[in-house]
Amino acid sequence: MSTPQSKTLKVADVMLPVGRFPIVPPNMLLKEALEEMGKWRLGIVCVSADEKLSGIMTDGDIRRMLLEVQKPFSAFFSDDVIDHAIVSPVVTTDETLLLDAVNLMEKKEVWDLPVTGKNGALVGLLHLHPVVQTLLDSA
Amino acid sequence: MDAKHIEVGYDSVTRVRIGKGLPLVYIGGPCAIESRDHAFKMAEDIGRICEKLGVSWIYKSCYDKDCRSSPDSFHGMGLEEGLRVLADIRDAFGVPVVSDFSDSSWAAATGEVCDMVQVPAYLCRQTSILRAAAETKRPVHLKKGQFMSPWNMKNSIRKLEAFGCDRVLLADRGTFMGYNMLVNDMTCFPIMAQTGYPVCFDATHSIQMPTSMGNVSGGQREFIPYLVRAAVACGVDALFMETHDDPPSALSDPNTVLDIQYLENVLGQAKKVHEMRLEILDQFGEDNVHPAK
Repeated sequence: MSTPQSKTLKVADVMLPVGRFPIVPPNMLLKEALEEMGKWRLGIVCVSADEKLSGIMTDGDIRRMLLEVQKPFSAFFSDDVIDHAIVSPVVTTDETLLLDAVNLMEKKEVWDLPVTGKNGALVGLLHLHPVVQTLLDSA
Repeated sequence: MDAKHIEVGYDSVTRVRIGKGLPLVYIGGPCAIESRDHAFKMAEDIGRICEKLGVSWIYKSCYDKDCRSSPDSFHGMGLEEGLRVLADIRDAFGVPVVSDFSDSSWAAATGEVCDMVQVPAYLCRQTSILRAAAETKRPVHLKKGQFMSPWNMKNSIRKLEAFGCDRVLLADRGTFMGYNMLVNDMTCFPIMAQTGYPVCFDATHSIQMPTSMGNVSGGQREFIPYLVRAAVACGVDALFMETHDDPPSALSDPNTVLDIQYLENVLGQAKKVHEMRLEILDQFGEDNVHPAK
């Protein structure tokens, strides 16, 4: 699958740009964040303040939380999303080679990598499915 | 969330600061302004007790009791005359005053006079009331509705913030347990404090039995000292207790107001418990038990 063409691809070529994946503010209620997450069908939501990445939350994070949370669901839903987000997620940059980012995904066993730009701003989301499609197309 | 302190008082009156780690503040007075003379007498008597105890305080009384159970019950002195009395009490005693409003059209006038405006518990989620409270630019004393969970109060807080208010005191006045009965869930204080705003315990409404007497609310005043000690030990920044020199003849909440003959005792205990709690936290550290995993 690693063709000459695919070797030069960068994360920026394949990532979902801002506007194509869910981004919510840290103090959004968890229930609202889950609704927003559901609209995009990616299994992930990015939490961001002032264009900087504050954290992420995935379907798996929520599944694990459901087994752990001891408070009533009405209280859980009323929490700020940032209270339950992964606040130091693995990230990549838009200038990173796509194959390096895919190797990072493999190593960390994640399906998504938030993408940050030069100033640390959240500029995109590298989601595994478009990556696979791109690599298949270039094979 | 960083703990916020709020300051109550403008112009010439004493500035009263409420917040985490600060001395306990007392908020009280007769439920309703019954007459100018009575309001002044109560302010004088409460002021003397607070001075003796070394407790900062805010005078509370209402000019319109719109939530009475019966149309025949005393409704209040009225907006204009009531606010004149509160303004004169501010001037005479140098004490900040707070009063509630049940109609958004009363808010501006209330905020003109009062150092803090209060949102009644029954109306704590009404957007028009919260907007009007925020627009007074005064600190807002927001009571948790008896039907509300403490975590859902975040919605009311966010409404206030959206309308420009950043000074809120959140109070618990009990939670309905079935009909005509209230209970106090002490976990509501740390939960509401997570908003960052100071929290208050309303002791005299917490022992109320809403409309239990058919068309009048009953109450179990004998439990006031127990709940006060529990709430202050749990952790509150202010204590709210309505008081009266002759509860049986009180024109509002006769079954719940604390007879002023007990105020020094109960408030003195509350002050001591509060100071001991701060000492305990200083010695043992802040509460930091992690939630179950």
